[in-house]
Amino acid sequence: MTSRLSTGTGHGHRVAARRLRVCLGLAIVVFLVFGVRLFWIQGLDAQAYASMSKQAGQSTTTIPAPRGEILDRNGKALASSVDAMTLTADPSMTSTDAPRIARILLKHLGKDRIDYFDVIDKLRTPKSRFVYLVKQVPAWTATKAVKAVRKAGLTGVFTQQETMRTYPGGKLAANLVGYVDGSGKGVQGIERQYDSLLRGTDGSATYEVSPTGQRIPMADSTVKEMVPGTDVETTIDRDLQWYADQRLADAVRSSSSDWGLAVTMDVRTGQIVQMSQAPTFDAEEKSTLRDYNTVSRFAQTVYEPGSVLKTVTMAALADQGKITPETRLVVPGRVMIDKFPIGDYWQHGTIHLTAAGVIAKSSNLGTIVAAQQLSDGTMHSYLRKFGFGSLSGVQLPGESRGILTPAKQWTKANHATISFGQGISVTALQVVRAVGAIANNGVMVDPSVVDEYVDADGKRTSPEATSTRRVVSAKAAKMVTRMMEAVTADDGTAPAAQIPGYRVAGKTGTAWRVNPVTGRYVRGQNTVSFIGFAPADKPRFVTYVVLDKPFANAGGGSTAAPVFHDVMSMALERFGVAPTGSRSPKVPQQW
Amino acid sequence: MSQHQVVGRARPPRQEPLSLPLRLVAPVRSRARRAPFVVVVLTVLTCGLVGLIVMSTVLQAQSFEISQLQQDTAQLQTQQQQLDREVERLQAPAHVARQALLLGMVPNANPAFLRLADGAVVGKPAPAEPRSNVRRVDP
Repeated sequence: MTSRLSTGTGHGHRVAARRLRVCLGLAIVVFLVFGVRLFWIQGLDAQAYASMSKQAGQSTTTIPAPRGEILDRNGKALASSVDAMTLTADPSMTSTDAPRIARILLKHLGKDRIDYFDVIDKLRTPKSRFVYLVKQVPAWTATKAVKAVRKAGLTGVFTQQETMRTYPGGKLAANLVGYVDGSGKGVQGIERQYDSLLRGTDGSATYEVSPTGQRIPMADSTVKEMVPGTDVETTIDRDLQWYADQRLADAVRSSSSDWGLAVTMDVRTGQIVQMSQAPTFDAEEKSTLRDYNTVSRFAQTVYEPGSVLKTVTMAALADQGKITPETRLVVPGRVMIDKFPIGDYWQHGTIHLTAAGVIAKSSNLGTIVAAQQLSDGTMHSYLRKFGFGSLSGVQLPGESRGILTPAKQWTKANHATISFGQGISVTALQVVRAVGAIANNGVMVDPSVVDEYVDADGKRTSPEATSTRRVVSAKAAKMVTRMMEAVTADDGTAPAAQIPGYRVAGKTGTAWRVNPVTGRYVRGQNTVSFIGFAPADKPRFVTYVVLDKPFANAGGGSTAAPVFHDVMSMALERFGVAPTGSRSPKVPQQW
Repeated sequence: MSQHQVVGRARPPRQEPLSLPLRLVAPVRSRARRAPFVVVVLTVLTCGLVGLIVMSTVLQAQSFEISQLQQDTAQLQTQQQQLDREVERLQAPAHVARQALLLGMVPNANPAFLRLADGAVVGKPAPAEPRSNVRRVDP
């Protein structure tokens, strides 16, 4: 360079300098144009271009978190989730071949899921490019159907991924497990109560993709991990549950009751091992869901318990030291309280019964006579202690507190009728908890339906321990147990509840039914029940059976006690509770 | 040091006249031959390029393979779910019980135990009579 410059002439140098300037000018112009354009793109249109580039080169997919399972106490699934698909179509592509496509879909999906003519209408929707054909189809069925459509040379049917809830047991424990709505949100039972736990957190993945949709290898990708839902392990024993479901459904049918329930609780831990209800529902058949079969009777339905409550009255009396099983009572044939006549279910003159005899024969009048020893306030406070008028602590949605009027508002008639279970409204779980306390030596344990939570890594955590408290002395509880053993004796009201080899304590109940509209009792309509626990000398389970509005002369001992017998026997057998071998003490019923 | 002086002279200050007695320096003769260098450079370039092409092709092919395998996985997962569901359905108490009832079996509602320690029977065993408790199986 140095040599060329040095040897060139003055003219040549000027030409070179001019060329240089021109080139420089051109370069500046070019760079200026670039600069302006750059400013245009980066400064003014930046957002629009950024989003365009993102759209063109990226693909984001949601990774749905699988909903946790609901398991029984042995880890068997009561509710689980599977992949499902929604079938969609582009009517502009399908309208000409609609009948052929509909025929193929019908063949693969079945009549339960789609209606042939309805699908044809959807496939021919005018001026539309998107229609939903059918939602919530199991992935394997949907994939087969779409493949068949493609194989027939037809286009325009697509799929969208989703998840679907299945209930492998069908109606098994349906009212406890609950169900989910179309969007996968729990609406009843455990599905609702533990929805936030079961749900998990959806994740997402963003990839750079080629124009044909292929993921570009080694390009940027961001993945937000999904957190799967937590499994909820219930305290239910699936096989016992099934057996009780069947046995109860059978009893509801044969007694033509409106509804029935049967629930069994471990008295020491408060764990509910079985919770049956009839009529019930199958959550996979959405069209059959009605209020009367999806309501949770154990916690949401209130009714008057009837004579079953006499056990609580006697426990209060025994705890106050006012009564023993042998206490002698003079029972009149009829009493008038506040111009209100009260009698027993059988006609009698003045009779001499012991306290055990009052329970064994289920005498309303005998209970009234005994309960006169308690003031309104004392009786009310015992009912409160036994958990009436307060939630059972079971952790299920929509639980009712029942109706227990304050002692100050009690009339003489209220005091009398409440002592034998009329004029007070309860839920089944309240009764189970109260009688469970008598079985558990006077210590009340709140019922629970969930044993453990199991997260995706298999880590187990326990829910908060249920609360326990002493409501009556162990001595009082033992006395009431002895009275209740007389109920299942051959001369008691429920010999059908006897389980050979075991000592069984129980109590029947026949309550007048209240018409919820008028608030008055309906003559001839009853709620019959039986509650009992076994083995009476070392109680393990308490089982409560309720049948609402059975045929007119059905009684707790004849209709509910046989169900109790079968369910309790099965519970004792499944949990390996052997009889203790001791004999029931003979308690005189009359004097 | 002498080289520095030569370079210093080659860039004279502007005030001095251009006609200094300069003479061409004989071109430096490199003893290295050019051919091997070119061959090496070309080889490196070719290898690089070919390697790049091969690698990108392999990656592309693998990306296709991945999406194919992912599709297969999804399909197999779906199939597994279907089979799992079928197993769950068959294991459900209702199904097992229905099969058992069809075989003439009866649920036992008489708890009795055999104590292994002394072979004693605890409880009062009784035969389970047909139609004594569960009479039919609801789906």
